Amino acid sequence: MGDYYDIDDILAEEDFVPVQFHKAVNGVKIDESSERGFVEQDSKAELPFWLARGLHLQQAISIKVPACFNRNTRLEIEADAGSVDLRSRCSYFYEFGCKVAPYCDKSIGLLVSYAFKARYKEVLYKAHTKAFAAASKIMTFLTKEETNLYEAAQSSMAAFRKWRMGGPRLQRASILGRKRKPAE
Amino acid sequence: MAGQSGSQLSLFTPDEVEFVAEDELVEIVPNLRMDSLNFICGDYGPFYPQIAIQVPLWLALALKKRGKCTIRPPQWMSIENLTQVLEGERESHAFQTLPFHYVEISRLLFDRARDDIPDVYMVRSLVEDIRDVRFHKVETNLENFTASAVTWKNMAAMEVNIIRAFSGRALQAFYRHENEQAVPDLDRTQDRQPQNLNDRPRRNLRPR
Repeated sequence: MGDYYDIDDILAEEDFVPVQFHKAVNGVKIDESSERGFVEQDSKAELPFWLARGLHLQQAISIKVPACFNRNTRLEIEADAGSVDLRSRCSYFYEFGCKVAPYCDKSIGLLVSYAFKARYKEVLYKAHTKAFAAASKIMTFLTKEETNLYEAAQSSMAAFRKWRMGGPRLQRASILGRKRKPAE
Repeated sequence: MAGQSGSQLSLFTPDEVEFVAEDELVEIVPNLRMDSLNFICGDYGPFYPQIAIQVPLWLALALKKRGKCTIRPPQWMSIENLTQVLEGERESHAFQTLPFHYVEISRLLFDRARDDIPDVYMVRSLVEDIRDVRFHKVETNLENFTASAVTWKNMAAMEVNIIRAFSGRALQAFYRHENEQAVPDLDRTQDRQPQNLNDRPRRNLRPR
């Protein structure tokens, strides 16, 4: 579990999961289009994960596999993990996967870890070799975590190149460069 | 969450690594007479003209800048040694032994004491080649690493520093995903154990 105040941890739980209600619930209006003020038994809905987890613990609902881990995505990842656009599916693919797996399908854990292993190499190659201009295309595929990895690698490589090329050895403190204000 | 925090991983800039490298000792030949210098890091000197002495790199460079000494390039910076190292790097997967700060030391010397290094062009291109080969090796190593133990001997400070942020995060992520998987595995191993326990006594009984 991450830090309680970790914004990424919070955002990862915002994603919706399909759920099915085991009980009829009164006084709840999940879907705006439904006019009745209660939810029938066995009705289906989409809830954010943080809410679904709470209800699941009270055994009010069961959680189904979210759309971003469906069969199509699995097949695509098995075919060529590197070129799957995970960001549009779920920008917290890995974190979300880890969170959801225990509640619906344990094999999501395997999928997530397989996908990360396969995509990690792509990120590695591109981060250390490609120039910034070419980077924008890959960046659109990457999830949040991969983007962080990519930027970490890029920035340390760029810092090294800058150091090797030299440049000003001494940096002037910003306060020294200022002109003195004319005395009044 | 692991792999996502920016500020948690402590990072060095290349300039800081260079600063650390300046504490390495080099041999200089002073051309002035001077009493010994007493620093917190140790005492150096006294200095006599034409008598070689070991001093930290930063002191050597400061004296060099004022024209008070010539720096003797370190042993490993000879053409023969570098050629040998380069061949070794190309032939084997392991990293050859080089000083921990070879990238920084060589750059400082090339920048500020070029006239003290014999065949500076040759030496320089050899060092650059070695660095490229080694960094390529680092990348191929990075490809096949997982959450299991990582043992790469003889990596240099700058090489470690370049991949520090990336590999730290990647390892954290690997570790987390492996742990996710480990949970169902544990259940299975626990199922297996009782069977093994039942098997053992039988095997022991047979010879009797």
